[in-house]
Formats: sequence, C-alpha cells, structure tokens
Amino acid sequence: MITFLSRRLTSSIITLIGVVVMVFFLARLTGSPVDVFFPEGAAPERIEAFNRAYGLDKPVIEQFRIFLWKALQGDFGDSIWQQRSAMAAAWGEMPITIVLAAIALSVSTGMAIILGSLAAVFRFTVVDRTITFFSLVLGSMPAFWFALVGILLFAVHWRLLPTSGSNTWLAWILPVATLCLQPIGVLTQVVRGAMIDVLTSGFVRNARARGFNSRRLVFRHALRNAALPIISVAGDIAAGMVNGAVIVGVVFAFPGIGKLIVGAMLARDFPVLQASVVVVGISVILLNLIVDLIYVLVDPRVRLS
Amino acid sequence: MLRLSGRLAAAVSAGMLTWAAGAPLAVAQPTDRAITVVLPTEPDSLDPCDTQTATNGNVSKDNIFESLTKVSPEDGTVIPLLAASWDRVEPNVWHFHLKEGVKFHDGSEFDAETAAANIIRSQAGTDFYGGALACYNSEQFVERVDAEAIDKYTLQVSTERPDPIMPLRLTYIDMGSLESQQKAEKITNPVGTGPYQFVERIQGQSIKLTRFDGYWGEIPEVKDVTYVYRTEASVRAAMVETGEAQLATAIRAENATGDDRTVAYKDNRIFLMRVMTHKEPFLDPRVRRAISHAVDRDSITRALMGITGSPWYQMLGPQVNGFIPDFDNSQLAYDPEKARQLLEEARADGVPVDTEFLIISRPDQLPNQTEVVQAIAQNLEQVGFNFQLLNMEGSAWLKYLRAPFPDDQPATLQMVSHDNTSGDASFSFPRYISCEGPVSSTCNERIDELLKQADVAADEERAKLYQEAARILYLEETSMIGVAEQARLIRLGDGIRYDANPMSGVIIRIADIHLSE
Repeated sequence: MITFLSRRLTSSIITLIGVVVMVFFLARLTGSPVDVFFPEGAAPERIEAFNRAYGLDKPVIEQFRIFLWKALQGDFGDSIWQQRSAMAAAWGEMPITIVLAAIALSVSTGMAIILGSLAAVFRFTVVDRTITFFSLVLGSMPAFWFALVGILLFAVHWRLLPTSGSNTWLAWILPVATLCLQPIGVLTQVVRGAMIDVLTSGFVRNARARGFNSRRLVFRHALRNAALPIISVAGDIAAGMVNGAVIVGVVFAFPGIGKLIVGAMLARDFPVLQASVVVVGISVILLNLIVDLIYVLVDPRVRLS
Repeated sequence: MLRLSGRLAAAVSAGMLTWAAGAPLAVAQPTDRAITVVLPTEPDSLDPCDTQTATNGNVSKDNIFESLTKVSPEDGTVIPLLAASWDRVEPNVWHFHLKEGVKFHDGSEFDAETAAANIIRSQAGTDFYGGALACYNSEQFVERVDAEAIDKYTLQVSTERPDPIMPLRLTYIDMGSLESQQKAEKITNPVGTGPYQFVERIQGQSIKLTRFDGYWGEIPEVKDVTYVYRTEASVRAAMVETGEAQLATAIRAENATGDDRTVAYKDNRIFLMRVMTHKEPFLDPRVRRAISHAVDRDSITRALMGITGSPWYQMLGPQVNGFIPDFDNSQLAYDPEKARQLLEEARADGVPVDTEFLIISRPDQLPNQTEVVQAIAQNLEQVGFNFQLLNMEGSAWLKYLRAPFPDDQPATLQMVSHDNTSGDASFSFPRYISCEGPVSSTCNERIDELLKQADVAADEERAKLYQEAARILYLEETSMIGVAEQARLIRLGDGIRYDANPMSGVIIRIADIHLSE
C-alpha cells in the first residue's frame, strides 16, 4: 500500500514539475504583459521600468531560473494587476471552487447511480429508453448554452432564481446545475453499462436463483462490483470540473479559480497564471490520489498489482 | 476659455440618441436609495492615474475622482470642474484658478500643490512616488508639461511649445489625495474629491461607493452604489430585467427594450479598416481605394448592426473637429465594379494585387463583430482580393496594431474601433496617421506637416488643418477606411432616469442619475 502510494506520489510530482515548466514557457509564448498593461504609444522608459520591476527584462532562461528557485520556496511573486501575492490570489479562489465542484459531483454521481441503475434493471423497457434518451441529451448539451437558457427561464421568465452572483444559496443552483448536467448524462451511461455487465454475470444470476432480495442485490452487491468504472469516470469528471468552473465564472460571474485563470490569461498576469495552474495541478493530483485510494479500498486486486 | 469647435454643440445634440423625455424641473433631493450598476468588466485599477480607460473610468471618473476641467456632455466644450477658470498668460503658459473649499474624502484640502503633483505624476518618466508604475493617463500629454503652485489656489501649467488645448488635455488628469498615492504600488483605497467615496472592493466581485456628504457640488440623489461585473451582455440585461441591477452598460441590440428603458448614445466611435500602405498588395493607392469600394456598408449595417450602427466613410465621428462635414461619400462608397476596375488597372501596371494579406479582427469591439467582418471579407472576396481572415483576442490583436511592423509579417487590413470623446483630432490623428504614430501604418509628408501646424493652431484654424489632413487621408492614402458609426446602448431599471450622452462610454456619473417612485 505504501509502495503503491509513494510510486503514485512520485509520478504526480514529476507531472507537477512538467506542468510548472510548461505553463511558464507557454504563458510567455502569448506575448508580454506590456502589450496589455500599457496604452498605445506608451513612453519607452515606462515600459523599461515595468519590465525591470517584474524581471521581464532578463533572458527567458534567466527568468525561468529565478521563477523556479522562488517557486520551490512557495513564492510565485505578486500579481501584475491585483494588489496581492499571486499565490494568495490562487488559494483564495480555490475553496469556493472546491465546494462548488464537490456539490456538483455529489449531485451528478448520486443522480447518475439512481438513473443508471434503474435503466440497467429495466433494460430495453420504456424506463431504460427514456433514461438513455435524456442522458444522451444531457451528455451532449453545451454547458454554456444551458447556462444562458437557464438564466432566461429561471431568472427572467419565472423569477425563481437570481441571474448570477454567489451571494445567496439560490444563486448556487444554476451554476451547480450547469456543472452537473453533462456529468449526469455521461455517468448515467457509464453506470448503466457497468450495471448491465454485473447484472448479467454469473454470481448475480446465481444469487437470484437462490432467492436474494432484488433491491439488496442491485444496490449492495451489483453496484459495488460495478463501482470501478464509475469511480474512474467520476474521478475524471471531478478534474474536469475546473473547465466547468471557467464557464460558470464567465456566465454567472461565480467566483473561483476558473474565473481567475481566464482573467490572468487575458491580462497576461503571469504570476497569477502560474500560481493558479500549480494550485489546480496540486488539487488534481490530490484528487487522483483520493480516487486511487478509493480504488484500493473497493478492489483489493489494485493493491496487489 | 477654449472653445473646441463652433459646430460642436449642434453636432453633439444631433448625434445623441438620448432618452430625453421628462427632464426634471425641480431640484433633485438626496435619498437613501441604493443602486447596482452592472459593467462588462472589472476595473483593473482605482488609481486616479488610470481613469482614461472605460473599464476604470466607468467607476472612478466623475464619481470618486474629478479633474480640473471636463468636456461638457451637452455641447462638447471644455467647462470648469475643480478649476473655476483659466487664462492663457503666455502662448505656452496657463494659469488655472482652482475652486476654494474643495475637500478630499479624507478631509484634506484640495489645493494647487496637490493639483501640480497629480499632473507631474501622470507623466512618463516621472519619479513621483510610484513613478515606475504604469499610468494610463500619461499619454495625454504630447511632451513634458511642468506644473507648479503659484499660490494656494493658482496653478501654473507650462509647456515648451504652445499647446492651445491644454484645458482639454487636463480633462484626462484626475486628482487624488497625495496621502493615498505615497506607495510604490497601485492605490487600493482611492481618495478623490468626487460626489462618491470608496467603501470597499471585493476583488473579482464588486466595488461599493457611498455618497460623500462633504462634496463641494450638488448632493446627488443616489446614496449608495454597487458595481458588479458580468461578461455576458444578455446576463447584464437580464439583471436589469429582474431588478438585480438598475443600470447595465454595453447592451446588445437584441437585448434592447424598444422603449425608454434602453437609451442609446454615440461617442464618435467609428468601426474602420486600417490598411497598411507600405507592403504589397497595398503599396498602390488604387488597391486601397478598391477596398473601400468593395464594402457594402449599407447592407452590412442594416442587416447585422441594427440600431447600433450606421454606414460611415471617415475615420472620425461628427463631433470631432477633423470630421469633414461636406465630404462626398460617393468617392468611397460601395461600387464593386469600380473596385474590380481599380484592381485591373493596378494589375495591368504590374502591381501584385493577388498578394495574400491578413484581415485582423477581434470579436469584442461591436455586437456581431464576427459576422460583420465575415460579411466584409465576403465583399472583398467578390471583387478578387486574396486574404486570410484571423480573429483573435484583444492582446494578440494589439500586437498587430502597434508599430513597428515586422518585415516578415504579411500586409494587414486591421479592423479597429476608434472613439474620440475629446472632440479634438489631436487625440486621433497623430497616433493613427502620422509617420511616427505608434499605431500608424500611414506615412505622408503633407499629412505630417498639416498635423504639425494644427498642433499649435486653435479653434477654426485648427479644425481646418485637421480636415485638410483628413481629406488627403481618405482620397489619396485611403488607409483608414470608415465602415460604421457605432451607437451604444444602456439599459435602465424601473424608477431610474439617466440621460446618456457622448461621454457615457467612459463616464457614468452617478450624480446624474435621477430616481422616481
């Protein structure tokens, strides 16, 4: 177990270093913050002073060396646009993204397990076809489109929810729904497929023949055996929630790391961009470790391999 | 007092599409009411030195900060604000007599020394406090300006060369308390003299202001104002619809209400094509002229821009002194046959008219910009131009805009949305059409000479010189080709009255908002 975790942790740290290197150089390929920060025809001495202040006057390799040395000490520098340190900005936005992602993931996983199991149990019936149809619709629905239509219907027409923001619990409903819909569609199909495999396997047929209670059989035994692919896909979806956070950030002005990253990219705020990507990277690595641990708990074969 | 242009007053009133019904007759009374204003983007700075951009100006200009002078939204003239009056004592020396009894929000007094320090700070190369910091307002002065206090309420501003529009330039320089600017970083607690004082900023979410009871002018009706930001125009409109906000800026035509809850204004913003003049296939002016004749402005604006655009042929809007009132638009108007003929003539003379060029555009300068530019591209294709259309985000687009242009970069036709709220062409022409202009792809000695003469001329003479330069630009260079005059929309909530004006793109003065039950 410890060997397994340490191996995973080592490979995760190598991945994180790769991410740090890539984000440093890719960010600089987009151009200089000077292009955004200064008006047309700004005086050269101002630009020089700015470049000096942010170390942009040095060769890129030298900039990278300084960045890496400071990053190892946890210092990602100060934001170019915001009056705070880059790391403080990134960590400051992370909790609300985690809470949003956790709610969205719980709702989508719960819904998918119920719907997917029902579709599998009643496969090839009206129930199965209806669930399959709607899960395909949800799975292929663009989140951005749903967000705008959601505002139009629930906020403007029916006045049930606020259009945007994050100040009240009602304001969380549309962002959570936007993040949930596609995962519900995809996960429902995964649960359905995995459950059908398990429900047609020998041990379930055997159990049924021995008169096992059907509900207990499905939700305790079959679902547990179908859990591996579900956990695997749910893990991927959780990591992808960051992408969803970008959409809810843009449409609903919902705070979080997604909104911060988009803003930093457009403003070429390199320190914030680098710090945010590292924070997201660490979060995804931790998430993957949690998924691995759940794997180990659910399936002892993983431990052995 | 300087008067910018004799026809400015009429032009401004004619150009404004404001909601004019029921102007208040009684003096407005302060209330305890609060409003929320929803903007497209969050301000990146609350520094008095950065109020020039609309993003920052919408919140801080004329609300938190004020300048010595301001452009009148009614008639475009320069009128007093923190300066009560001014004299031009020598060709290159101005004296500004400041209003007495003006207080900053922290209780400190506004005087000539503070005004001088703010002017000095706003210039390039200054070492005033955080001098290494960028300052958006710095580019308003063409050359070094000296400012010093003669006495407590008299400020002397001098330049090396005569600058007849100094009072206009000072409309861009906002005054902040010195106390708040004594750090080497941007200001987080802005302190100005305006009718509203800063309360709090939650980064990424909102800015709150409240009425400043010690304001020197008329006390505004609205007590508290909260600014929030929503990128999507439809969301901004929806917020007003649902009562979550009372004023939304930059609304799309499809979200307009068709009644007095949507107000439109024109701020001399022109959507235009900047064509390179020093690279093939655009070296020959006939090729550039063919571009203008190829574009069907009437159909494009009618079908794709609706009330937010009308056909336009010049670079400047009608309130700017470089606008040519009697310009014959047919010289540049849609005529595909003429465009083909010009290209054929150029081809026959050995001009490589088939050389590929780049159309550089961004999606966010006007509503439906992607469709508008695609329509322009289709027009150009129909007469035989060879190009690639590149649609990019703002900072990448800016890289193509700025000189110097790399030698290995193909010729470009760049879509530009240019506004001039000052009414003076010196805020447009030197940058865009002079040989040394930082975003100019035009170089014509006669234009440069005229701009040089206009720079030190005043009033009608100044306007005449700019118009002469403009005529050469359109008919000989044809390198800045107007497509559409843009109108912009503001959505108002119930119980709110606001008369939009040509300055509304940059300044939303909350004190100008009136409330009803």
